[in-house]
Amino acid sequence: MGEKFDIGYVFTFFPKLAGTLQTTLIIVGGALLTSLIVGFLVALPRLYKVPVLQRLSQLYASFFRGTPILIQLFLFYYGLPEILKLVNIDVSRAPVLVFVILTYGLHTGAYVSETIRSAVASVDRGQVEAAYSVGMSGYQAFTRIVMPQALAIAVPVLSNVILALLKDTSLAFSLGVMEMTGKSQTLAALTNHFVESYISLALIYLVISMVLERLLIILERRLLRHESRAADPFPVFRRERFRRIRQWFTRERSVRLREEAQ
Amino acid sequence: MKLDPSFIWEALVKLLPVIPTSLLITAVSVLCGFVIGTVAAFIRIYKVPVLHPIASAYVTFIRGTPMLTHLLIIYFGLPLMIDALSSQLGLGFRSASIPMIDFAFIAFSLTAGGYMSEVVRSGLLTVNRGQIEAAYAVGMTTPQAIRRIVFPQAMAASIPNLSNAVIGMLHASTLAFTVSVVELFAKAQIVASTNWKFFEAYLAAAIIFWGLTVLIERVAVFLEKRVNSYNRGGVA
Repeated sequence: MGEKFDIGYVFTFFPKLAGTLQTTLIIVGGALLTSLIVGFLVALPRLYKVPVLQRLSQLYASFFRGTPILIQLFLFYYGLPEILKLVNIDVSRAPVLVFVILTYGLHTGAYVSETIRSAVASVDRGQVEAAYSVGMSGYQAFTRIVMPQALAIAVPVLSNVILALLKDTSLAFSLGVMEMTGKSQTLAALTNHFVESYISLALIYLVISMVLERLLIILERRLLRHESRAADPFPVFRRERFRRIRQWFTRERSVRLREEAQ
Repeated sequence: MKLDPSFIWEALVKLLPVIPTSLLITAVSVLCGFVIGTVAAFIRIYKVPVLHPIASAYVTFIRGTPMLTHLLIIYFGLPLMIDALSSQLGLGFRSASIPMIDFAFIAFSLTAGGYMSEVVRSGLLTVNRGQIEAAYAVGMTTPQAIRRIVFPQAMAASIPNLSNAVIGMLHASTLAFTVSVVELFAKAQIVASTNWKFFEAYLAAAIIFWGLTVLIERVAVFLEKRVNSYNRGGVA
């Protein structure tokens, strides 16, 4: 099977695959948006211990984390039109992409809800009590006190979830969506250069996930400005290029402090 | 077409015989991955000269690309390499004689290795530096200290991550259908192809996976309690 290995094809496939990058990113973006909304909504009943809804959201998280994404994709693709037909909504003509985005959104939403839940739970109880004691309402305490602190804990985990989502989108081809993996399979079958096509595909994913990782780290730093400032003795030198100077200053200062202590 | 509950049961019964295939893929990939991951983790922790950048590149590559691409590259690339090698050496060996499932084993082991390496590494890093120094102080060699003192503690600390990795590989075993291995997902498609009740068949497969996942989670919680019983803190 396949022709002799030719490294040149890896480079000729590169731009062709990058042309379908858009579809992959649409899936990632759409699913991410869905998952953040769904995850937040699902996390709320468990945070506030709402009787019946709490059980339901537990069940939701358990199901979507307990079954493979591939099976979920097919379940939704075949099942959702049937279920919606019962309430007289016809979605059999809806594009596949909608099902794919919905499924990835719900799948990732389960992970997002768990992340939000654990992040909020790890904020000290005393913080909420202190907020109440200065007369904040429940909503104010949540948005002003708990959420910023929870975000600090949740963001690194969420970046992992987003990167996992990017890699999971490679399965959308199984429903016939022409994203990068689907395109690479078509190219491979056309030219009979399978390995080159998949190496090219892997390289593109590698580049995207590295770029995405960098972007998320930048975002993380931006979101956590307040955290670093508290620990940083020289907030003026927060820029990376001043790192050396800052280190020199802090070392100088700590040495002086130690001498004074003696 | 309406939902047919009796076919869910029927599909469930038909899917039962292929559960061992899925579990075998999971077990092989997790075990081989654990060995690969441990080696990679030690190479990265001890910064072994030449191997260190290679191990880092391996982990970055595996974690930065989808599992499906690993499987496809191995599935299409390995036979090319084997055939080229055997024709050059004049061996009569053909890659076509390798069973499909072996490609899944190799590819998934490599994938699991990349993820396991991070699990093992983070586990090793949580062990207090004083532990290994204490081991040296009572006269243990480095391998002894690692085997008897550091590794058991590292494993205890990384049970939650390990169970997540096992569940991840169990779910990933569904990808083996792309190289025509008949595991749970492929079997569900086969079962449904006779009467087009795909939804019921996938539901049955989902139920099995859900059950297996809950089982693995339970075992992990139980193990964690057992293993961490020595450091419960407090008095008595």
